[in-house]
Amino acid sequence: MNEAIKWVKTIKYQWTISLAYRLNFFLEVIAPVLVFFFVQYNLWSAIYGSDPNLMIKGYSKTQMISYFGWTLIVGMISRGHMSGNIAEDIRLGRISAHLVYPFDFWKYHFANFLGFQGIQLFIATITFSVLAIFDIISPPSFIHLFSAVIYCLYVSIFWFVIQFLIGILAFWLSETWILRVIFNLITAFLAGTYFPLEIYPSWFQEIMKVLPFSYIQYYPVKIFMGDLSLLPKSFLIISIWIIPVILITKLAWSRGVRRYTAAGM
Amino acid sequence: MNTDTYAIKANKLYKNFRSYKKESGLIGSINSFFNRTYVEKSAVENFNLEIERGKIIGLLGPNGAGKTTLMKMFTGIIVPSSGDLSILGHHPWSREKEFRQKIALVMGQKSQLWWDIPAMDSLELLQRYYEIDGQSFQKKVKKMSELLQVDHLLKVQIRKLSLGERMKMELMASLLHGPEILFLDEPTIGLDLIAQENIRKFIKEYHELNNCTIILTSHYMADVQALCEDLVLIFNGQKKYDGNIHDFEKILGVEKNISFTFKKPQTFNDYLNQFDPKWNENRTSVSLRVPIEDVQQVGVTVLQNYSPIEFNTEKMPIERVMKTLMEQPELLDN
Repeated sequence: MNEAIKWVKTIKYQWTISLAYRLNFFLEVIAPVLVFFFVQYNLWSAIYGSDPNLMIKGYSKTQMISYFGWTLIVGMISRGHMSGNIAEDIRLGRISAHLVYPFDFWKYHFANFLGFQGIQLFIATITFSVLAIFDIISPPSFIHLFSAVIYCLYVSIFWFVIQFLIGILAFWLSETWILRVIFNLITAFLAGTYFPLEIYPSWFQEIMKVLPFSYIQYYPVKIFMGDLSLLPKSFLIISIWIIPVILITKLAWSRGVRRYTAAGM
Repeated sequence: MNTDTYAIKANKLYKNFRSYKKESGLIGSINSFFNRTYVEKSAVENFNLEIERGKIIGLLGPNGAGKTTLMKMFTGIIVPSSGDLSILGHHPWSREKEFRQKIALVMGQKSQLWWDIPAMDSLELLQRYYEIDGQSFQKKVKKMSELLQVDHLLKVQIRKLSLGERMKMELMASLLHGPEILFLDEPTIGLDLIAQENIRKFIKEYHELNNCTIILTSHYMADVQALCEDLVLIFNGQKKYDGNIHDFEKILGVEKNISFTFKKPQTFNDYLNQFDPKWNENRTSVSLRVPIEDVQQVGVTVLQNYSPIEFNTEKMPIERVMKTLMEQPELLDN
């Protein structure tokens, strides 16, 4: 019971912080939709030109734009969380306080992540509504929507663990920023954030089927777009990958925290 | 002896840090990028310590002597390279929840409270983490914030508080759960004299009421004199003194501190120069360290030859002892 209260309080704290700066919060809510219309919508409209029957890798113009609409929404939920804070806490020595408090560092960050996810769900709902109103995406049935969202939340836990792992590399490297950028960029390409995976050669697509990346964004997009049959397999693949990632993260933590020198405090 | 009477027991404690040398400048940076030479530096060496429960101990030493490293080891933030350490019967680096419930750390140089939210929100978060029941929490916050005169600031964001106000909040935050042992790492650093005194008074009263063990580091001798019965002195990672504060004052022998003020700048003769004169900037006042048997002779010499407008004799202030030792640490070796 006491443990649960600690979590709830930390989540509330995360919300307090997010709402502390009103303008910032407002921008966080509207920026994704604006960027979508300015960049993705215009870009793909220009690529397809005026030919209504043009198909690119099996996608019509409407399907392509719908793909990116869903990519935006899925990305917010499944891979919205970034590890910047974790690395920063270690680099600047703020972790020292958490090593002393009787609420573990990972719990603190996981609770923060949960709070963050609450806000992301809110932003995703707004984005979803706007895109649906403008007919960019077509809403699936409630059950369909519900199970796809649950899947995305499950993936986001996997994503959190990976981000935590990259964050605690700061125990070894004084600067992990560039590593994070590279990793996030590569993931974005492999997950289908920038292009649907159909543009890759088929042998590459086969490899992608066993790696976790495409299950972070591409497959959930497909599920939202109508193919519910992909759901069980996607659950399975993420479940298989999450185990080694958790084990490596635990090992890295126990090694890393022994190296920690709390410099600068 | 039973471990229960001791709050801290350290036995042959060592801590080494490894870092790599970096030459200055761009060329140096490129050089050390390809060619890294590591230096092993020992921060704490063969450190033995026993501290009884309920005491206030001052941990003193110059910058870089290893005080903070010791504090980090005591609180479980860093792991010793070797040796044994027991705090309230726990190995701190195992960081069991039970252990963390019993200790508190305040760092004058570093804020532990959450920067972007009001102090009260931070305190409430800590209330949950330490599982403090609501009623006693409210009571403690009210009492402590009134004593420290920060009760009107509880709803202000931490970042908007002055250093002194923030420090008081940090101190309050560390005491909410009634720790059995409190580590204060330079709690008065950078504070004005009034705030320093407030904090000292508060710590003293808190200790009298709760009888917890307190380990204090500070560069201000006033803190140490007001609070600590016992001192531990550390130089270059090694313990150089461990004992009563009154014995520490006499560590350089039984000497008196005699100070004189003159109308005009002065220069002393050879006889007086042997008493380690410390002049002010414009050489109009001086203080001398004089063995008790020479006090009379020195007084007469100065009065006759330099016509001071004021003079004053006192026992050696701890500050002077500390300064002498920092300049000549070899005095402690014998």
